[in-house]
Parts: sequence; C-alpha cells; structure tokens
Amino acid sequence: MSTTKPCTPTDGEDNSNGTRRDFLKQTSLLTAIALTPGTVVKAAENQWDEKLAGVFEKQALHLEVNGVKHELMVEPRVTLLEVLREYLDLTGTKKGCDRGQCGACTVHVNGVRVNSCLSLALTNDGKKITTIEGLAKEEELHPMQEAFIKHDGFQCGYCTSGQIMSAVALLKEGHSGSETEIREFMSGNICRCGAYPNIVKAIQEVKGGMV
Amino acid sequence: MKKDAIGDSLSRVDGRLKVTGGAKYSGEYKVPNLTYGVLVSATIASGTVTALDTRSAERAPGVLAVITPFNAPKVPGYQAGAERPVRGLKLFNDNKIYFNAQPIALVVADTFERATYAASLVKATYNTEPFETDFHKNIDKGVTPQKGNYKDYVRGEANAYKNAPVMVEEEYLLPTEVHNPMELHVTTAFWDGDDKVTLYTKSQGVKGSQRSIAAAFGLNPDNVQINSRFVGGAFGSSLRTWPHEIAAAQAAKLVKRPVKLTLTREQMFTQVGYRPLTIQKIGLGATADGKLIGITHESHSQTAVYEEFTEGAVNVSQFLYNSPNVNTLYKVVPLNVGVPAPMRGPGEATGSFALESALDELSYKLNLDPIELRLRNYTDTDPERNKPWSSKYLKECYQKGAEAIGWADRKAQPGTNKEGEWLVGYGIGCGAFGAYRGNAMAKIKLMADGSVNIQSATSDIGPGTGTSMVLIAADTLGIPADKITFELGNSAFPNAPTQGGSATVSSVGSAVHDVCVALKQKLYTMAGKPADSMEPIDYVAVLKQNNMPSVELTQESKGNPEAQKYSMYSFSAHFAKVHVHPLTGQVKIKKIVACVDAGKIVNHKTASSQMIGGAVGGVGMAMTEEAVFDERYGRYINGNFADYHVPVNADIQQIEAIFIDKPDPVLNPVGTKGIGEISLIGVAPALANAIYNATGKRVRELPITPDKLI
Amino acid sequence: MNQFQYTRPAETAVAVKSLAKEPNGYFLAGGTNLVDMMKMGLVVPDKLIDINRLPLKKIEKTATGMHIGALASNSEVAEHAYIKAQYPLLALAINAGASPQLRNMATVGGNLMQRTRCPYFFDTAMPCNKRTPGSGCGALEGINRMHALFGASDKCIAVNPSDMNVALAALDATIHVTGVKGPRAIKIGDFHRLPGDHPELDNTLQKGELITSVDLPTASSAYNKHVYYLKIRDRTSYAFALVSVAAALHIENNTITGARLAMGGVAHKPWRLSTAETFLKGKAVNEDNFKHAAQIAMQGAKAYEYNKFKLKLAPNAIVQSLKLATGLAS
Repeated sequence: MSTTKPCTPTDGEDNSNGTRRDFLKQTSLLTAIALTPGTVVKAAENQWDEKLAGVFEKQALHLEVNGVKHELMVEPRVTLLEVLREYLDLTGTKKGCDRGQCGACTVHVNGVRVNSCLSLALTNDGKKITTIEGLAKEEELHPMQEAFIKHDGFQCGYCTSGQIMSAVALLKEGHSGSETEIREFMSGNICRCGAYPNIVKAIQEVKGGMV
Repeated sequence: MKKDAIGDSLSRVDGRLKVTGGAKYSGEYKVPNLTYGVLVSATIASGTVTALDTRSAERAPGVLAVITPFNAPKVPGYQAGAERPVRGLKLFNDNKIYFNAQPIALVVADTFERATYAASLVKATYNTEPFETDFHKNIDKGVTPQKGNYKDYVRGEANAYKNAPVMVEEEYLLPTEVHNPMELHVTTAFWDGDDKVTLYTKSQGVKGSQRSIAAAFGLNPDNVQINSRFVGGAFGSSLRTWPHEIAAAQAAKLVKRPVKLTLTREQMFTQVGYRPLTIQKIGLGATADGKLIGITHESHSQTAVYEEFTEGAVNVSQFLYNSPNVNTLYKVVPLNVGVPAPMRGPGEATGSFALESALDELSYKLNLDPIELRLRNYTDTDPERNKPWSSKYLKECYQKGAEAIGWADRKAQPGTNKEGEWLVGYGIGCGAFGAYRGNAMAKIKLMADGSVNIQSATSDIGPGTGTSMVLIAADTLGIPADKITFELGNSAFPNAPTQGGSATVSSVGSAVHDVCVALKQKLYTMAGKPADSMEPIDYVAVLKQNNMPSVELTQESKGNPEAQKYSMYSFSAHFAKVHVHPLTGQVKIKKIVACVDAGKIVNHKTASSQMIGGAVGGVGMAMTEEAVFDERYGRYINGNFADYHVPVNADIQQIEAIFIDKPDPVLNPVGTKGIGEISLIGVAPALANAIYNATGKRVRELPITPDKLI
Repeated sequence: MNQFQYTRPAETAVAVKSLAKEPNGYFLAGGTNLVDMMKMGLVVPDKLIDINRLPLKKIEKTATGMHIGALASNSEVAEHAYIKAQYPLLALAINAGASPQLRNMATVGGNLMQRTRCPYFFDTAMPCNKRTPGSGCGALEGINRMHALFGASDKCIAVNPSDMNVALAALDATIHVTGVKGPRAIKIGDFHRLPGDHPELDNTLQKGELITSVDLPTASSAYNKHVYYLKIRDRTSYAFALVSVAAALHIENNTITGARLAMGGVAHKPWRLSTAETFLKGKAVNEDNFKHAAQIAMQGAKAYEYNKFKLKLAPNAIVQSLKLATGLAS
C-alpha cells in the first residue's frame, strides 16, 4: 500500500479526526441527494462517499517495523495485525483467531511480546515492532529459528511465527528456568499440530546456548 | 553409502520458509486490486430468510457488493438438473435456513475492516420454523445410511455377549469436536474473463478442488487453477470444497476483482465440518479366562438435515479382536446442524474410544491385565474378511509400549498407586486404520547441473510431504537430498489424490519412487548400460554425453493387484501415565507412549512429530474438547478458542513415539502403511483407562474435565 | 468494528474531560478486553480515548504500602521484585490468568474493568441483561456451567473472570479514581457490584471516572509467607477458572493468627470469604480446620443446572489451597 504523509497530529486532545462530525453531516446531505433516482447522482455519491470517508476517517501512523520506518494513514479501527499483513505485506505474522485466544499473531512491540490482533495500530504509533521477518540477520537465522528447524518444532508452520516470537521473548523474560515453566509461559501460543514437546526442546537448547 | 536414505531423520525441506515467515498460505498472496469478503450468518436454526435489509451495508464506505439469496448470480452446479451437481449446502441459491450460523449474505469491500463492519449492518427478517438440534432427544430418529457400507453387520450370533459368563454393557459419549486448524479457512479467487478462474485456497486436494470449482461454475477443469502450496493444518476440514470457497469465486466474478474470503474462528465451528457427537453402546462378553465370546457395537451420530455424513465408527469392532460373534449397527441422526467432516482418525478414533474403554472395563471384571486380555484375543488374520494381514506387529507394539511407559509399575487395583496426594494410573488404548494407496502421478526433471525437480498435485497440511518425497527420491536415485526439490499444491501438476486417510506417502511416495526408477532406467539406457544395473553412473555426465540440457518424464503409479488378497492396516498401542488429584480433579498427563506399526518409516524426524501431534490431538479429544450447543437456540455457546479448549503447551509433558519400522511387503514399493490417523486413534481410551486405573472413576463421556473426577 | 474517533491525550485531566464530553466514549488501555468486545459488536463506541500515554504506570512502595499505577501492565506487576516479595499472592494470581502476551498488554486498571466471559454476553444473537438490559438472562436456564454460586440475581448469574481481582480482594486493595468531580478512593469490596436488578453495571465507577491507581495496604504485606493461588480450569493454562482460591495466612507457632481468603469464578465480584477467615483465626493449621472453614465459606451457595459440581469443587479447592499455602500439601 502507498505510504502517505501524515496530515493530522495524533497527540493531544480532539485535534485528530474531530472533523468527522462535519463529515457525517455532509454524508447525510449526500444520502439525501442519493434518494433522487438517477445513475449520475448515484455514481457521484459513491465516489464522494469513498473519498470523504477515506480522507476524514484515517489518521497518521508512524511505525518502525524490523528497522524500517513506515508512515501510513489508517482508520482507527485497524489493528496492528492487519497493518502488518494487509498494508505492509508482512504476512509472516499470522491470524489464527483475531481475538487474543491463540497467539499466532505474536509480535514484539518495543521488545515486549503482544497479541497484535488486539492492539489497535494507532496505539503503537511511534513504536518499534519486530516480526518474524525481522528476526534473522540477512541469511543468518536467529538461534531460535535454527533450533525450531533442528527439533522440528512445527508441522503445518502456521503457528510457528508466533511460537518463535514468544520463545525469543520468553528467554528475555527469564521464565525458562524449568520445563514446567517453559510450558506454562509458552501456553499463550496454541499449536494444533501438537508440536509442543519439540518446541520446548528447541527453547531449552537455545537457552543452553548449544545452537 | 547413500548420503540420504529412507529411514533417515531429515529436517524439513521447507523449514526455513516456515521459521522466517516466508511460507505463503492461501490468504497471503499479494494480488492486485484485492477485495475482502465477509460472511453474514443466520441467527436462527431453521426456516427461511424472508428479507434482508442491505441498504446501510451497501452504502457503507468501500462496499462493492452484498450478495444474498435474493440477488446472488446463479451457480450452475447448484441448479436442478445440473450436469455436474455440487453436493451439500448450496449457498445463496435459495432462502432456506438449515442450521444456525448458516451464511445468508456475503459482503465485499475494499478493506477487511470495511467489509466486516458492513456485514454487521445487514439485517435479516426470518420466518422461523421448528428445529431439532438436540441429539439425545432425537436419537430414536436415527437412520441407517443408504450410501456406503453401513448396513447392520452380523458375524455368528447377534448380541452373543449377553449370554457370556462375564460381560460389559455400557454407553460411551463423544461430544462434537472441531478440527480447528490454526489457519482460518481462506480463499482468494479471481477470474480471467468469464471462463477462467484461479483460487488460492486452503485445500487438502488441489485436483479435487479443481473438479469441484469446475463443476460449480460449469467450466472445463483445465480452466480452473488451484494453488494451495502451504496449508496451515486441516485434519480433514479441507478434504472437500466448501460453500464459502464457491462463494468467493462467485463474488469475484460479480465484482470483477479478486476477492479474499476468510472465515472467522467462530465460523470455523459451523462452516467447515467437525467430528460428530456420537453415542456408542458396546456389549462385550467373555469366558472367565478372558476369551471374547461376543462383541456388539452400536453407534448413533449426528449429521445435517441437508447432507448425510458417515464414518466407520463401528468398523474396528469387526476385525481388531478375535470373537466368533460380532454384530454392529451404525445410524445417523439428521439435525439442524452444519454437516460434519472426517476428522483425524475418522470413525476409528470414535469407535476405538468405546471399544477400548469397554475392553478395559472387562479386564477389571476378569481381574486380568488389560494387555493380557488383548493378547488372549489377538488375531493373526482378519476375522471380518478372512484374509491374512499384509503385515501386523501389534504384539510388538504392546510389548515395546509397555516397557516405555513403565507398565510394570502399574497397580491393578484403582486408587492404590500414589505419589504424594496424587493418584497414579496407567492405561492402554489400541487402534487400527486402513492402509490405502491411490493412483498418483509424478513428473521428474533432471537438470544439467544434476539437480532434480519433482512435481505432483499433492498437498502438505503439515506432515512434511515434501520432505518425505525428497528422501524417497534421494534414496531411489542415490543422490543427496539437497539436490532435489519437490513441488506440490498446484492443480497444474500431475494428478495425485487428496491428502487424506494417511495415504499420501503410500500413493504419491510410490509415484515418486516409480518416476525415479523410470528416470534411472532411462539414464542407464542412455549410458548404454542395462537398465537394472547396480553400477553407479554419473547422471550429469550422461546428459552431457547425449547433449541434452535436461531430461524429463512423467509416470503414473497404481496399486499392487496382489493387495486384494490381504487386509491392510496400520496398528497402534497408546499408553498413558497420569496423575489425578482426588480433591480438585486436576489431571497431569505425565507421559504418553505411542507405539505404532505403520510399516517402513520414511523420515523419522517428521514421523515422530506426527505421532506426537496425533497424541496431542488425542489429549484434546480425551480431556478438553467439546463444542457445546444451547439447544434452545441450536447455537454453539463456545465457538471460539477461549472457551473451546484445544490443548496448550502446559497440558503436554512427555510424549514418546516408537516405531516398529518394518516394511509392509504388499501395499507399496516403499513399505509404508500411514501414520496420520493412527497417531490419534487409541489415545483417548488410553487416557480414560489410565484415569480409571488411578481413581476408580470410569468416565464414559468425554472430555474428562475436573468436574467429572471429584 | 464501526468507525470511531480516536484521541490519545498525554494528560490525565484532558482524558477525563474528553470522556465527559462523549456519552458513548470509552477509555482504551491494553485493549485486550475492549478491542475484543468491539470486534464482537458488544461495544460500538463513538470515541476511544487512548490513555496508554498517561503518566499512570508507576509501581512504588509508599508510606502506607504499595502504589500500583492503573496503566502498569499485568506483567510488570507480577514481575515487580517488591510485589513478589511482599504481595506474592498478587503476582501468583496475575500469572494464573490469560497468557504472557495478554498480561504484557493488559493493565491493572483494565483488569479491574474486565467484563464477564458469560457466553450469552458475548453473542449478540442471544439474550443477556448485562449486554442488552431487559433482553433476559440466557444463562439462567441455559448452559450455566461456568456461572455463579453466590450473590446472583434472576437477572444475571455471570461471574467476574479476573484472577487479579481475587487477589486484590484478599489483599484489601483500594482503587483510586478520578473524574470531573475530582478524585476518590473505593475499597475493592465496594468496587465490583452484585448484579441485582442492574447487571449492566459491573462496578461502582461513575460515568467518566478513570482508575488512576490500585493501592495495597502495608498490613497485607505481612501475609507473604503462606500463600497460594489455586485455579481449577478445563485445561492446564490459558483458560478461565471453574473455581479459583486466593489464600494467604499469617501463622505463628502453628496457629493461624490471620487469614485472607477470596474465591474467583463463583460470583459477579471477587468473593471474599470473610466468615471462613474469622473461623480460621486462632485455629491450628490442620486439614480438619480447613474443611470446616470451607464448609462455612460455602454457606448460602446456590447452584444452577450445570454448575452443581462447583458446590463440591469450590470447598475442595478452598481446602487444597489452604493445604498448599501451609505446606500440608505440595
């Protein structure tokens, strides 16, 4: 998607999309016009509706994703997950439930693992996001990625991005002291193929610095 | 010595793509001009939708179309008298509602958010009719399926168990379980003119999808391109083409732009099948020394009013144990529900839960070790078909599995084995699944640099098909695995069966084996050597000598006619060790051992993962999973991942996979029998039996949640 | 999800003023509950006031105990060294809830505001007095396995789903809020409501009020040695409680000199077990006393068709949590 210059500041009160009220008034006018039959009017309405909605309902979003800065215009309802997958084409981050119930969408925001499906994109304005695509250094895989391959910590691969992002964060959080602890602190990432024992092995290996 | 050979442990050939986020699933292809489709679901369980107010939705920003039963372009395959009729629900073809959450409209907009919001603005008016979703209330309305081999079965005398010295007669309930692969079902469809369509869709069989889409739109199959290279799990839910896939293509045709239709997780509970709620009655009769006299197995399971679903739930009782008298009955109960679909270990997983639980109950009545009971009724030939097994090493499974779980530490008397406050129990559950082989083709191309590319229109829903195929090719050609690429998930590739029934390695692996043999023979001939020569040759040199940049050939591989003489099955014995807390009902599954006779194991690494994964699936079946209806509305109350509990990491401790790893001499040239299904079959009874051994509480209604153990 | 206005003020006063102007506005913090509810169409706001940049994140020791800023994440609280040492019950309870990712997002204030997980509340095609007052209670005659034993009404039998709240109840937390009329303090026991005739109201916050902090008294920090948070659920982790028990005891010479007990998953609010606490005071540490306490705690419990098992599971869980807190079990 195209990157647009921001046109509205987002900090501070009521100066972001406050003009939406006016916009709504205008649309009711347009709606009234639309009641008049005639394809010309209808087409005009459709176009106008589109354009107005596009301009007034979007807000500027600055994100640094995997070290790359992005400036976007997004509707406030757009989640971080959708921005990554649909706007930035970073489809490594997965949608498994869209409700914070599976962990497939796990990314790091300023180094902390979160469910990107429950985070509005605008909440993350100005933050640094790391996704699975940003973990490897060029050709060199992150040790956790290597360990997942070595221990076969996945099958279909769909939950894998989230598992690996969680696992990398887990080591940093310091909850990898025992197998039991790893299992508990990896329980926010569902794997329907059932690769759990191999995932635990991969994490233990990286923790042990054996890769 | 070969560098890479069948029986190795090769890391996945697509592993790097999967750990870097580079693997593209069906909803992840960047298609220009993409639009988004969102389904609107009915909120009644039966009746008609009499009106749909779509005005606000149509006027909402970004909306391109709202497709409803009242305006949907006709799908040729849905029409009466269609040349190639589409089976199942004909979405938007009429205004009839058969089940709650049936889609009644499809909104297409330029963004996902806009489509989703507009979908919420569609308002339906219904004419509600009485509905039936209560399985228990309607069980008497069960019917014997007309299609397939589901007639009542009798061998010897029916209900002979009733006259046996020792008998068990119990009912077992398996609730509705939903496949719930992690990837949401998704289809991206776009047209090239009016008669060519491309779909990126979540499919276990691209050729099957191609045929179905062609039938739906009255197209030549060659004009339908299906891509499904990476599939984020399926477990049976993508064995067929679902109505929403057709709807995506229908919408794309209407708006003349690509449409991506993704189901929500909630819709995954109602639109793409499930393992049906099933009640089974088992009667077992035995002599005092544990010889089975009679087995009776009766099963009732739910199906949809608009389409019949069947599975072999009672089959296992007909052949797994030696009994002179066996009778089975299988009926389905049509309800106002979505249609079920085969789910990992279809039929057999359901049946073996009942049979293996009942057998365990019998062992306590006989005061006989459960393994000993199984040994006393072991059968060296198939008692149902009176044929020899192509191979059977189930006894070895009992023995190796028992050793690995520590069966010797099991105490026969429930409630007597303790570690601290925790009650300790051991259980066994066995199973079998038919070993199949379908006709499959593969195309091979040897390049001047010595690299080899193989193509076949199979799928990989997770087992590591590509990796196994590369290993078979490396072994057969005698070249390193990293010289070989295997491509799948594309309907333009040579024909292969749908990935199901644990038959992919058997079918496609045979084609890969055969095409490699054919290539080898061709190269030997080109080199002027006898085709069956054992002497190694340099393939690259042969190409060079013949001044050829590459050599390519396609081979079809068909089943062995000899196979008709045999009964062919994979067999498994699952063992479980559990800790149960008597006050709180909490269960810790300390260890599961999955010991399987699945013929030759091609790739130990991915095969072990598959066995472990099946065991985890079995843990879900036994302990946590149940889709719950509120019968007043005929609507699920837990259709989401927070309330429908699939196992999480903390539920799983140690799982050990053990393979007998002896080639089957009949089924296919590689000697495999299949592991995808057998990995789950028998897990649930092993756990239920272990819990009984620990607590003395026999849970006959899954899942075994804490409330059932206090 | 509908379109809405979005602002992200930097000052608390601005945020409060902003919400006061907007009858259908909501504060957005971690979003783990609110964004989910918006996706399900349970909340259709005209305006979201994103409060994540307000200066309400501080966790610090104070003269009267412990101050926890409302925007401190659940993880930050559970990982805080002083909280782990002095108020371990809170850390244990928080870590028993949700998943690590959700705990990283969810805030203390948001967790206090977390709405019920009753399936009828979450499905707009079903009746629910909490979501749509007057539409009826779907759970009363429905699948009420997860529902209340205590304090329910014929309008609503939903339970508060939070684990954190159960610990806060046991620890006598105080909730500090501010609004256009100024700040005030609410005791945890007075914060969450019973459903009565108005199940749509989860708590006693006034319209426009913002939670600024949760304070824990010094007195509660004496209950840091004999502590357990026992959560019984349908899977080992990442599931809501069937029943949970927060137990913290003060013990001298094998005699209980003080007990703090609360239960989760049994009422519309975290359920403090005051009568059981009173009974235990001065009693010896033994299973019989625990059983007696559990029996007392269960007085007045009323079950529905599908949650009768809780009448047994709840007292068992009380006994077991006390055993685990005191080392009688491990």
